[in-house]
Amino acid sequence: MRQILRQRELTADRWRYPGEQGAGQQVRTLAELLAMTAGTAQATGAPDTGVLLGPADELEPLAPWIARLALVVVHFEKNGDGRGFSQGQLLRQRYGYRGELRAQGAVKRDQVFLLARCGFDAFDLDPAEDPQAALAQLGRFSVAYQPAVDLLVRPRQRA
Amino acid sequence: MYQYDAFDRTFVAERVAEFREQTRRFLAGELSEDEFRPLRLRNGLYIQTHAPMLRVAIPYGLLSTRQLRMLAHIARRYDRGYGHFSTRQNIQYNWPKLAEVPDILAELASVEMHAIQTSGNCIRNVTSDHLAGVCADELEDPRPWCELIRQWSTLHPEFYYLPRKFKIAVTGSPNDRAASAIHDVGLHLVRGPDGSVGFEVLAGGGLGRMPILGKRIREFLPKPELLAYLEAILRVYNRYGRRDNIHRARIKVLVKALGVAEFTRQVEAEYAAARATAPQVSAAAIERLRACFTPPAYQALADRDPSAGADAAFTAWYRHNTRAHRISGYRVVFVSLKKHGEAPGDMSAAQMDALADLADWHSFGEVRVTHDQNLLLADVPQQALADLHGALAGLGLATPNIGTLTDMICCPGLDFCSLANAGSIGIAKQIHEQFDDFDYLYDLGEIQVKMSGCMNACGHHHVGHIGILGVDKHGEEWYQITLGGSAGTEAVLGEVIGPSVPRREVAATLARILEVYVAQRESDAESFLRVVRRIGVAPFKERVYAADTAAA
Repeated sequence: MRQILRQRELTADRWRYPGEQGAGQQVRTLAELLAMTAGTAQATGAPDTGVLLGPADELEPLAPWIARLALVVVHFEKNGDGRGFSQGQLLRQRYGYRGELRAQGAVKRDQVFLLARCGFDAFDLDPAEDPQAALAQLGRFSVAYQPAVDLLVRPRQRA
Repeated sequence: MYQYDAFDRTFVAERVAEFREQTRRFLAGELSEDEFRPLRLRNGLYIQTHAPMLRVAIPYGLLSTRQLRMLAHIARRYDRGYGHFSTRQNIQYNWPKLAEVPDILAELASVEMHAIQTSGNCIRNVTSDHLAGVCADELEDPRPWCELIRQWSTLHPEFYYLPRKFKIAVTGSPNDRAASAIHDVGLHLVRGPDGSVGFEVLAGGGLGRMPILGKRIREFLPKPELLAYLEAILRVYNRYGRRDNIHRARIKVLVKALGVAEFTRQVEAEYAAARATAPQVSAAAIERLRACFTPPAYQALADRDPSAGADAAFTAWYRHNTRAHRISGYRVVFVSLKKHGEAPGDMSAAQMDALADLADWHSFGEVRVTHDQNLLLADVPQQALADLHGALAGLGLATPNIGTLTDMICCPGLDFCSLANAGSIGIAKQIHEQFDDFDYLYDLGEIQVKMSGCMNACGHHHVGHIGILGVDKHGEEWYQITLGGSAGTEAVLGEVIGPSVPRREVAATLARILEVYVAQRESDAESFLRVVRRIGVAPFKERVYAADTAAA
């Protein structure tokens, strides 16, 4: 079973990504999610839905869903694609998303500190990466020059 | 100048530790070259033709003498005894060993320097006017704003993996000496409609394969909004800039594709939407930075004419290599790195050490790097000029050619760079040999020659009054000539005059171009650039290629 570095702890994933079979709750693509909206009135209740965003996906269509989402997976196609950093920051700051925000794909220890600053609190790391090393990397910098969302990390900013 | 506090020191030390670990992983085979590349680039490290190249940041071109001595030490201890000052006001070392780079970075950190974000697809070292704070035409000193941007852009969590590099230049004078129009963002301190000072904002400038001048997207931005507005620009770029083709990934391509009006609309919409969370520049924050750039303790001195009764060598140097200072009794002194026989921008460790001493004695312990690859002593008492000239001449740093044809901008070219088609350094030498008569150079007046060894345009050839671009034709070096470019206040891209010329013909071609200028100018006061603008490139073209035919 897939292990996720979530809230600084390695935990078994309870979700299934689009296209995956087997146990676990289904994560939907943005298109699937929006198709669901079309047929159903806006639901209430505890957040229970998961969605996976590609790097080019817009966030505005997600706005009506924010309160119902328990998981947003931001997919990083390749090392060096920075679009997901903006998606994370915007989901937290502009859309007020409070659930799990997971970076998935080409994610190694060298990215996790800045991802956490952008509001990510979970990492589905590159399979070759050592989760303990990634965890240690969250403590790499004790200071930072900019204000940010800062989940999991709390770098000191200049007074 | 800006001094690190405990906060900055902690940050840079943690960054050095991070890179030391990344280098260890790479050398141990735990990181592939593809994985290591973006990490090392963001620490200034390229892999070049012969060896790694390390580009060290000199924020907006300012150096203390302590820092300059460290640069000399690094050249001596880790390189081959010299460094190369670039058009980005940085210094490059061409022969470091990969395994030693973390040590070099630690040494730099000890004098409040680093190589962070000097390459890679991120916000690069911010550049500025080399006369900031000492010129009379300045509305406001841009350096506190440069430092603000330096800090804000350092490891910015959201904008660290951009589609492509991103360069910002700031000027505080209506006379643009920072080539701001060829930057991804150009910021000009200007007075707004209500009389307060804020920023005019240009976006989308850049050279390379698709040279474009920046377009104005904001006429006036209040100062506290600077970072909020930059974040809006970067967010639009980060999300919508192309990532599928490295040659189409700069912000200029996005601005062009959307059109300036639509790009501006998107930036403004993002800026408005982010109001609640975007950073505001507090008065206290900018005051703290402003306090780092207070003027040095000038003495009350009267203006004098140091060239009165002086010898011809001093007089030529005084006239060409020094400039007026806003404080009476002082002078701005250029240190020419364009000596015949030396690669433009190169400086030896011994010269760096000696210059540091001279700056301590005569210029309040500060040295600046200009974007045209010279150094500058900004605050020299006029009474010290004679001594200073003697010392600089002894070091080979007083070639009286600033602003003349041989004060060329030149990239490292084939001799070092893995991208280059052409040996620009060799061409610089050829030009020096052809134009070794200083009286002729002075008669020609101000001419900016800018030379790049390839389309990436590190030598800014598009904005040279005379631009020279190295091109590869079937394995041979040829050179394309452009005329009429300018990086100044009214920036213009030069026009190609025709087919490229073979390597051996470059200096001779320039000579023909200059004959046309001399014949066509209406007076000695009409500069080369003005003549090109008045008569166009046709007469130059005719002369260059007519001669070609005659020779054939």
